Amino acid sequence: MERTRKILVILLCALMILGVAGCGATGTQGGAPSQSTASSQEATPASTQEATPAQSSGEKVNITYACWGTIEENKAVQDALDKFNASQDKTKVELKLIPWEGYVASLNTMAAANNLPDTANMQEPMVMDWVKQGMLADISDMYAGSDSKPLDCITYKADGKPVAYGVAAETVVMYYNKSMFDKAGVAYPPSTLDKAWTWDEFVANAKKLTLDKNGKHPDEAGFDAQNITQYGCLVENLAWQLEWPILSNGGGFYSADGSKVTIGDPAATEAIQKVADLYLKDHVAPLSIGSTDDGVQRGLIAGTVAMTTNGTWNVGTCLNTAKEQGLNYGIAVLPKMKQSATLATAGTNVVFNQSKHQKEAIEWIKWYANIDNGWPLISAGIWPPIFENYYTDETLTHKWLDNPNFPPYADYKAAAVDPMLDKNYVHSASWFYVNHAADFNNLLTSILGDVWSGKATAQDVITKNLDKFNAIFNGTAN
Amino acid sequence: MINVIQKALYTRSIKSTNMARQESRAAYLFLIPAFLGLAFITYLPLASVFGLSLFKWNALTPPVFNGFNNYISLFTKDPYFLDSIKATVYFSVIAVVGSLVYSLAVAMLLNRRIPARGFWRAVFYVPYVLPGAAVYMGWSFLYETNFGLFNYVLSQLGIHKVLFLSDSSNVVPSLALISVWLSGNLIVIFLAGLQNVPRVYMEAAEIDGANAWHRFIHVTLPCMSPIILYNILMSLVTNMQIVVPALTLTNGGPGNSSMFMTYLMYRYAFQSNQLGYACAISFVFFVLIAIFTIILFATSKTWTFYEGGDDRK
Amino acid sequence: MNNIRSKTRNKQIVDILSLTAIVILAFVALLPIWWIFRSSLMSNAEIYKFPPPFFPQNWRFSNYGKALEYFKFWQYLKNTTIIIVPSVIAGTLTATLCGYSFARLRFRGKKFIFSLCVGSMFLPSMVTLIPLYTMWTRGLGLGNTYWPLVLPYFCGGGAFSIFLLRQFIMSVPRELDEAAKIDGAGYMRILVQIIVPAIRPAMIVVALILFIGLWNDLLQQMVYINKPEKYTIAVGLTIFRGAYKSDWSNLMAATCMTFAPGVILYLIGQKYFIEGIVMTGMKN
Repeated sequence: MERTRKILVILLCALMILGVAGCGATGTQGGAPSQSTASSQEATPASTQEATPAQSSGEKVNITYACWGTIEENKAVQDALDKFNASQDKTKVELKLIPWEGYVASLNTMAAANNLPDTANMQEPMVMDWVKQGMLADISDMYAGSDSKPLDCITYKADGKPVAYGVAAETVVMYYNKSMFDKAGVAYPPSTLDKAWTWDEFVANAKKLTLDKNGKHPDEAGFDAQNITQYGCLVENLAWQLEWPILSNGGGFYSADGSKVTIGDPAATEAIQKVADLYLKDHVAPLSIGSTDDGVQRGLIAGTVAMTTNGTWNVGTCLNTAKEQGLNYGIAVLPKMKQSATLATAGTNVVFNQSKHQKEAIEWIKWYANIDNGWPLISAGIWPPIFENYYTDETLTHKWLDNPNFPPYADYKAAAVDPMLDKNYVHSASWFYVNHAADFNNLLTSILGDVWSGKATAQDVITKNLDKFNAIFNGTAN
Repeated sequence: MINVIQKALYTRSIKSTNMARQESRAAYLFLIPAFLGLAFITYLPLASVFGLSLFKWNALTPPVFNGFNNYISLFTKDPYFLDSIKATVYFSVIAVVGSLVYSLAVAMLLNRRIPARGFWRAVFYVPYVLPGAAVYMGWSFLYETNFGLFNYVLSQLGIHKVLFLSDSSNVVPSLALISVWLSGNLIVIFLAGLQNVPRVYMEAAEIDGANAWHRFIHVTLPCMSPIILYNILMSLVTNMQIVVPALTLTNGGPGNSSMFMTYLMYRYAFQSNQLGYACAISFVFFVLIAIFTIILFATSKTWTFYEGGDDRK
Repeated sequence: MNNIRSKTRNKQIVDILSLTAIVILAFVALLPIWWIFRSSLMSNAEIYKFPPPFFPQNWRFSNYGKALEYFKFWQYLKNTTIIIVPSVIAGTLTATLCGYSFARLRFRGKKFIFSLCVGSMFLPSMVTLIPLYTMWTRGLGLGNTYWPLVLPYFCGGGAFSIFLLRQFIMSVPRELDEAAKIDGAGYMRILVQIIVPAIRPAMIVVALILFIGLWNDLLQQMVYINKPEKYTIAVGLTIFRGAYKSDWSNLMAATCMTFAPGVILYLIGQKYFIEGIVMTGMKN
């Protein structure tokens, strides 16, 4: 009798001990205010972490830097952080990894709880909206006094004035599997802009590279569209990447000055339909519903697709490792419809106004923006440099590209370096100059669902929803 | 008759004695955890969700009062909301019906005289203990259009490939199938229920000449009705809150076909930073579930049959 | 005579058919799990081979080693355990307390409070996520700890558990209670010495349900946990997927690892769980 009672009491005590142990293991530092940015675990009995910027006691300031990335990316970022921490004594930066899928959501949650990191690499769709809401510290003079200007195409602008700078100059290019081309006896796609394939040439070549299980091509009799074993191409149709075919067709999501929504124009709907028809009519591409941007991994690297279009970051994030495992790939310029066009994009490093250590945070970002310090990511092939002189000065270009991580110098230079200076070719992705880009792109993704599977045409769904696009653009959506 | 009177007298006498007060005190003491939870984890936050839904709030600036405009926008202007209600209800209905039919069928099969019943039961129960995110990820690989197992089998049988997760009319049934697969816990409960159908009734029915089907409809089902109700309820609550496949696989697409309400609310709250608006969605969702539950309980009085009499204590 | 024999015969035939059906269904039910397992042992190139092979060519257990490099499974498991163990114990104990009150004790407002309780069963956690997050982080400063995930379980472990235990306790005959009361036992004593032993299987059932709920709760964990060292299994797997995207073999290896603890626990605890369900069935 008494025993059961004793057991219960012991259980309750164990529970409480576990609870306390759990508390200890999670390492909350003394007290409530520690929800702020000073998050270093190994800090000593430290409520003095809360020190305001007026701290000259020589105690180290801890700040956090948040970003997303694949394993390779994170390694390179950690290298940069370690370098910064080792180079001076005042500030220690800690890396906070947040997955790409939940990145926007995480930052928003943290902002609501006043819990943001000091600095972060911000995803493109968020930047303009956060600028408008005054969440970001002003760092537009970041490059004053450096020996080169950042490229214009990756500068975030509000009312024509720069408010933030991209951390890299990513563009959309085409990658292809050289072994598949060799096997099919097809000439490689051109890497120089003036020789770019037209869309029809692109489709024709893709057909030569598409095989069903009996080895037939799409234009041959008896082709079995249900049993394709190799596809000729995969045009990544994530919403923001859809803009390059539209630009190539002479249109755009918005007018060039960002004042009107032009996605309902024939140029745009036609271009989207052509991309969809790669699967529906030409049978050269696998079905893709535009919800992920891993076209390179699931297409090219998996060995099921001969050509795919995607961003230049793939060189460092996945193609390099694939190359070591036997993939023989090449880089080329995008095909064109009426004119050649590509998109430029980049996340940006920001300092949040909520940060309690803005001075130190800005210093860290400035240090990171210095090209030599961000070099690990550049030489890994993940971040093309943003300074103009790396594109105009050949010695600098060599410094950047003469490196086994990259495809052959001539190809990469022709496809991704020289065209960067061509303002008619390189267009900033829409989120560099309009607000609510994220909502716009989400709506586009959502309504195009049936277009990819062939149940509706692009023109139908876009025209039907045009007023919703306009409402989002004007900020009157809800 | 005498029992009733005795009981009444006993109860009345209890009420006014010290014992009653002691009992109440013990009860309130034991219920402290429940009080705290109901107040701070359930009802106060629920009230604040409704309160918040009357504001426009992006968490970075102070909230701005907006009256019922959030709700009006939801039902008139929002491009996703009405589809999201459709998707949620469609999914729940298929998933609940599917789960119940599946678990009942398997339970009935398991109820027969078969060897190693415990082993088979374990097999069907295993999906329930697997982490949801992992399950959906694994199944997405099976559903893959070009290289997934299912399409391979179909192509061997000469049937056209099915776009499981890429076609807006197939997404919800495909996801519902996964939910049915996961409903192993219902099988165990049904099995126990089946084993408790009094043999007396079954034998009586047999003697009366009822065949298997009649026995099922007129004896088994009624005796199991409380358990069926419990299972429908559990299944409904679980399936209406579906969010993991939208979060990890489909992002609400293609089109809006998998834009479940929980997911939509998450998007508005944490990706578009419109907290007041998201709270409005939460509240509508809450009302929807409440309606379903009330309907279920109300109609259940007509078809559930409690063996031990009504437990109205 | 003949009638009975053919009836038994029929029964046997149906039994055999049922067994066949069960075997087929079990095979179909296990197929996804097998598929995931076999993919975790193949190289990526093999996975994309067409037609897809049923058995892996070489059983590349090295995939698991590779996945472990980035997917810190053991750390995630430890973190998940830190959250689950206190929550499940606290939830079961408090649910027993509350269930007992509703089942046995008489007090004013019982019906009202109980209906509040039942009402809260249908409140999905998503609905109250935003206010709760603000309360935990802005209000109480517990952001980035495990407390917001664990503390709610100290409040009865959820209305479902309270409801379930109430039902079970109600099926325990009152005579035992009365006998103990006459012997002078207080309510706590009755609870501990009479009720608990009688409903022990039900308590285990509740513990298992709580365990599964926590195990799967990706959303809450993602909202409250932000530091890589604190990631739980569900969060870790999601991030892993983000890092590896279409690297299916590693992804499947990580997925299999996350399957294991649940399965093992179930195999160990299965006896109790089944017993519990069956016993309550009998009681009814």
